[in-house]
Amino acid sequence: MQRYWNESYECMPAEQLKELQLKNLIDTVERVYERVPFYRKKFQEMGIAPVDIQSLEDIQKLPFTTKTDLRDNYPYGLLAEPLKNITRVHASSGTTGKPVVDGYTRKDLNMWSECVARGLVCADADSKSVIQNAYGYGLFTGGLGIHGGAEKLGASIIPISGGNTAKQLMMMQDFGSTHLTCTPSYAQYLGESLREAGIDPAELPLRAGIHGAEAWSENMRKDIEEKLGIECFDIYGLSEICGPGVAVECHEHNGLHVWEDNFYPEIIDPDTGEVLPDGEWGELVITTITKEGMPLIRYRTRDITRILSDPCPCGRTHRRIDRFQGRTDDMLIIRGVNVFPSQIEEALLNAGEVEPNYMIIVDREGLLDTIEIQVELNQSLNLNTVAELEAIEKKIKQHISSIIGIKAHIVLVEPKSLPRSEGKAVRVIDNRKI
Amino acid sequence: MIRQVSVFIQNDSGRLARVLRALKEANINIRSLTISETADYGIMRLILQDTDAGLKALKEAGVMANETNVIAVEMPDKPGGLSQLTDLLAQADIGIEYAYSFLPQNTSNAIIIFKVSEADEPKISALTKEHPGLQVLESDTLLMK
Repeated sequence: MQRYWNESYECMPAEQLKELQLKNLIDTVERVYERVPFYRKKFQEMGIAPVDIQSLEDIQKLPFTTKTDLRDNYPYGLLAEPLKNITRVHASSGTTGKPVVDGYTRKDLNMWSECVARGLVCADADSKSVIQNAYGYGLFTGGLGIHGGAEKLGASIIPISGGNTAKQLMMMQDFGSTHLTCTPSYAQYLGESLREAGIDPAELPLRAGIHGAEAWSENMRKDIEEKLGIECFDIYGLSEICGPGVAVECHEHNGLHVWEDNFYPEIIDPDTGEVLPDGEWGELVITTITKEGMPLIRYRTRDITRILSDPCPCGRTHRRIDRFQGRTDDMLIIRGVNVFPSQIEEALLNAGEVEPNYMIIVDREGLLDTIEIQVELNQSLNLNTVAELEAIEKKIKQHISSIIGIKAHIVLVEPKSLPRSEGKAVRVIDNRKI
Repeated sequence: MIRQVSVFIQNDSGRLARVLRALKEANINIRSLTISETADYGIMRLILQDTDAGLKALKEAGVMANETNVIAVEMPDKPGGLSQLTDLLAQADIGIEYAYSFLPQNTSNAIIIFKVSEADEPKISALTKEHPGLQVLESDTLLMK
């Protein structure tokens, strides 16, 4: 079996990798300074010129870029290439205002496909693999991102896109799919549907899943692995930088390798902007160091993680980011306490007897925030008294209280009664009017 | 022992209707029904004329249903009828987890359904031997009533 897609890059000695990063960083800074008025103005205001970047640490002299900057420069203001050199345009869903637009040159698409191909090989895919790509195709980067990587790898790709669950199951059975790529919540839904259809996952050739585009917990991974009979790999990307492929897990399942020849990661304190050492939790900041179309300097991802820099037994030298704790903008502040939906999910699953399908409803009564958690009971549970149900509620309440320090109102609901998602799951409803 | 079907129902409009529709469509007669409720959900307990077909219909409709063993006792429908039974149970130190009445069609006697803990189940058979007047019904007999 193929261990690496591009061994000389993936296993490049750390010192050599740093030299490459510095060279790429300097090129990028010069490129944006010369070509993007937004950056030149910002750099000049801070009294910085490309010549000030002499080492990787000098990156800290550069300003951050935020999602607001991207919106302010909608649609093409941050492009460093004329449109004639832009091969493809992607955009975020834009649920909160104008979408965020990204333009890729041919070389950018090639780099992106390279990163995805490395990730697919991490999940044991090769040219003989059949990849069922259930990420949505379109402006969203998931579908076409995986597609490009799978083509580069030379695997057989089934571009089924998201949704149409009955057809997904049919293809899993008939088309010999070895790999499933989709959001974790959709993978979970497919697992449930497989079970309902009475299909034994052991009979299917499916052996790995590559899932990303939303935060998911270890328990959710176990659940998907069990229901689909596969090994799951986490993949990270964001529409502002390039979709899936910025970072991906190897077999060690101990963090996601960031393809550092293309993306330079930093962790900062989200409140002060101060750069934190490897190993400390904070907000992930990424600088693209090979992108031509729309390079981003110190982009604040809002994702909370930490950098793992100890050597990985897989042989890849690129540093890893840990599984995400959440996003700074998913974070709920309830009675002054920072709460991530992922923490609640973890607590629910540790309590047992419920499914990893839940809805968090935050409200305010008078001056006090309230939190209600609706969670689906496990279908196979043998219940017959209210006392038994109350005991489950109490146990969940205690688990949640021990993690977030808040007493939540637990509402047990029937299996499969909460809405299912074919893309990103909606887990939080915040009814507070603040 | 009598086979009772317990159904979990969340407190939302239309939930009970969904359960009953599934039974109607499978042509299953309900012989007794009781609901114990909290603010957010309830547990409905049913004795069905055809337990297996009823469970199958409910599961196919995606309803969370399971089976529990309960006890049925027939007694004269007159003041003190039930009290006699509960006295016997109390003397034998048998706890009642919950109880409700059955709706007989072919007798003027009353029938009460009750649940005891699994540990107490053997005590019931001992009690019937000691008190031949105590009419504990089996499924077949109950569903004829």
